[in-house]
Amino acid sequence: MNQTVLVCDDAIFMRTMISDILSQAGFEVVGEAESGLQAVEKYRTLKPDLVTMDIVMPDMGGIEAVREICKDHPDARILMCSAMGQQALVVEAIQAGAKDFVVKPFQPSRVLEAVQRVLA
Amino acid sequence: MDLSKYAALFLAESREHLNACNASLLQWERAPAAVEPVDRVFRAIHTIKGMAATMGYAGVAQLAHAAENLLDALRHSRVVATPAVFQLLFKAVDTLGAVVEAAAAGSEHDTDASLIADLDAASAGNAEAGTPMGEPTVSASAGLVRTAEEPKLRRASDAPKSRPVQIIISRSAVMRGARAALVVRRAETLGAVSGIQPPMTQIERDEFDGKLFFRLLTRRSDAEIALTLRAVGNVESVEFQETAGDAPGVGRQIRVELRRLDALMKQVGELVVAKNRLTALSTEAGDPVLIELSGRISRLVGGMQSEVLAARMTPVGEVFERFPRLVRDLSRGLDKRIRFDMEGEEIELDRSILDEIGDPLLHLIRNAADHGIESPEQRVAAGKPAEGRILLSATRERNTVALRVTDDGRGIDRDRILAKAKREGITTEEVDTLTDDLLVRVLARPGFSTAQAVSGVSGRGVGVDVVMTRVRALGGTLEVRTELARGSTFLIRVPLTLAIVRALLAEAGGERYAVPLAYVAETVEFDRRAVTAVRDREALVVRDQVIPTVHLRDLIDSGGASHLAKQPTVILEIGERRTALVVDALLGQHDIVVEPFDAPRGLPPFVGGATILADGKPALILDAAALL
Repeated sequence: MNQTVLVCDDAIFMRTMISDILSQAGFEVVGEAESGLQAVEKYRTLKPDLVTMDIVMPDMGGIEAVREICKDHPDARILMCSAMGQQALVVEAIQAGAKDFVVKPFQPSRVLEAVQRVLA
Repeated sequence: MDLSKYAALFLAESREHLNACNASLLQWERAPAAVEPVDRVFRAIHTIKGMAATMGYAGVAQLAHAAENLLDALRHSRVVATPAVFQLLFKAVDTLGAVVEAAAAGSEHDTDASLIADLDAASAGNAEAGTPMGEPTVSASAGLVRTAEEPKLRRASDAPKSRPVQIIISRSAVMRGARAALVVRRAETLGAVSGIQPPMTQIERDEFDGKLFFRLLTRRSDAEIALTLRAVGNVESVEFQETAGDAPGVGRQIRVELRRLDALMKQVGELVVAKNRLTALSTEAGDPVLIELSGRISRLVGGMQSEVLAARMTPVGEVFERFPRLVRDLSRGLDKRIRFDMEGEEIELDRSILDEIGDPLLHLIRNAADHGIESPEQRVAAGKPAEGRILLSATRERNTVALRVTDDGRGIDRDRILAKAKREGITTEEVDTLTDDLLVRVLARPGFSTAQAVSGVSGRGVGVDVVMTRVRALGGTLEVRTELARGSTFLIRVPLTLAIVRALLAEAGGERYAVPLAYVAETVEFDRRAVTAVRDREALVVRDQVIPTVHLRDLIDSGGASHLAKQPTVILEIGERRTALVVDALLGQHDIVVEPFDAPRGLPPFVGGATILADGKPALILDAAALL
């Protein structure tokens, strides 16, 4: 069975791109979220194997979402998607429980490397 | 690194934290809904865990770790605080107290495995306490949790060891700091992590060269650790060794004669003056090429200055080292029982200040032992522990270092000192209370020792004038807090460095003065409408705070008050004391080089030194302490 992914990003463009990269690598994208709040809700219902999480999103930011998810599911495998220059936020996300990160602009190979590490 | 010399410090701090834990637990038990006590206990236990891991006290660290997990579960409401849980926490704190003492005394024995098992069970919500959801949840710090069967199988031979771990994040990695954070998180899944260098806050800001150091308390093998940490990705190497010196990531070291550093410092000082002059001239000339070049030179000189200053910084521990022995010998000679503790030995000061600070501290410590701490019989009679306590501590506060000598002895009898001060005409008859400020001024009067005058109370005057003179010569200040029968604290505050200081330039009566920035809290506008009077003194109201004013023009006797309705004002601050210094104009911040200065007779006391300004002309440096 393919491993399942929840893609969280407020930009359709980014969601599409990440979904494409992961689908081509054999993952099944089971859901998308465009806010932190949605991410938390969908995580609870979908229980995906992997979550990709944007940092800056409306309603609830990505870091807050990580914190919420990890509160009940400390083993959640969450991969942060960050822009350059957001190091402090990435560190915060890691301390909140994120398992790895990739930096935009994405190179498919780097994204997949990070995904492998998270799922290892 | 020889850790044994930190054992006393570890013990002292752990005791404090455990005492605080007991107080907070009691408070929490009375009001179980309160959040603050839980956080306080959590932080205290967490601190003890970190210290114990650093010291290699595995048993202490394990117990603290188990207690911390439970507290974390409570903190996040995964477990409810029932009487049974409180009972368990009190027991954990008591046991921690015992193992801490034993460990520091060098006789660490196996911790109570059943207590750890109880704590683990309670964290998992399996105790009688139960979880709110009914469903056993895993601790949020699951990364830190050992596998469940481990505590029960503990034997001395497989006790976890504290290992130094050095990581290098590969140069090609993006966001090396964030990668380092991941390494730390991953390490936490293997055991307790402590002593992270550089500190996370620095790593977050990307002030990170890819070299990470920490201590890991774990039972895993080196190979296993290396494998786990490498899996984080972009990890170039994992090594298990101490770093050179105490500062990790530091390369090889060489010894340099102090004289050379002094010479280098002097040269850099000259360079700073020349640079300031160049900046002034190029701004005047208005040539963009020249301005750009002088800006570049400014930055280069600035960088060089901080490198040289850093090379001169030395931990105060070097001077502290001789004191424990001194106190021991003193207490024997005096037939007293004194426990001597030190804190903040790692705080750094410029070498030249450090060399000067030893004697004043020696005076204060000797005074505390000699006059502060009572004999064991007197102490017991006064309801105090027979053993007195002296604490020497260093803390970094803004651009200064605060050195405190605190004793829990008899304190200073203000009434008698006041009476004495009145007899000698140091203060007027109307004064009926001796404030801490006035007290230090009285004590520091040359020759105010007068053993008979204050006999049986404290001959605290002895040597305080010497201390005051030395400290003032360093641009520092001396403060006293004292409470009869409770003890005294003498506080020496010195600047981080002597040679070059950042100062605010002010003008009054056509002359320029430099105010060291270390003592400047803020600048405001002196508005005649905001003036009030406090005990016949003019004072300024700044955000509901009444601050006495001093007009620089009056001080220098330049005659003629300023006619301006509004005048710039510098708020000086030392500790909690503030004064508003009213000047004619502010001329911005500058690095000034403090020139060696033989004060001519008749020089007003508020002048602390001299400097050469950017235009090559001299200016006087104001002594903030004398203005307060």
